[in-house]
Amino acid sequence: MARAVIVDVLLGLAVAVVLISAAGVLLMRDAYQKAHYVMPVSVVAPVLIALAIGVQSGWTISTGQSWLVVAVMVIASPFLAHATVRAIWIREHGGASRDLARAGRDGERQDGGRL
Amino acid sequence: MSSFVIAAIAMLLALVPLGVVLCRAEVMSAVVAYEAIGSVAVLVLMLLAEGFRRSGEFELAVLLAVLLLGGGLVFVRFLERWR
Repeated sequence: MARAVIVDVLLGLAVAVVLISAAGVLLMRDAYQKAHYVMPVSVVAPVLIALAIGVQSGWTISTGQSWLVVAVMVIASPFLAHATVRAIWIREHGGASRDLARAGRDGERQDGGRL
Repeated sequence: MSSFVIAAIAMLLALVPLGVVLCRAEVMSAVVAYEAIGSVAVLVLMLLAEGFRRSGEFELAVLLAVLLLGGGLVFVRFLERWR
């Protein structure tokens, strides 16, 4: 009985996290703000679901594989979020980071001075 | 119907606002929505695999979680260079 209640609470929290994050992606103004709301979906909700599966099933193959999914998502999501925000910034500033890197190779700063 | 299947169905409701952003917003906001939809799909696959007691189907969730990183990186690298 207690186990079922814990599972339901964990699943309810996971669903709430996902729905609130989806509303955040819909309501925020620009892509920078929207990107913040992807992280709860890909880090917090998987942990809650894996905990629920662990409470429901104990140590089984399902629990192990669900924690494997959590590990992959927790490692991959920050990389993807960083790459996405970097791409947004480069699109908005016209490839400024590439210009800066090129200037660094040539030994010049963006304002014309020598490095 | 187990609570895992109910949670999976409830989680699918999140695809509605994310789909609106995917279809209506400018391209980089749509990429953000695409990444969120991919993460929700992974969670739904986990919930359904546990709800229907098919441990073999967890491999779909593992595979999608790995491919989500590769697919997302391809998208953002493409979109940062071409407008």
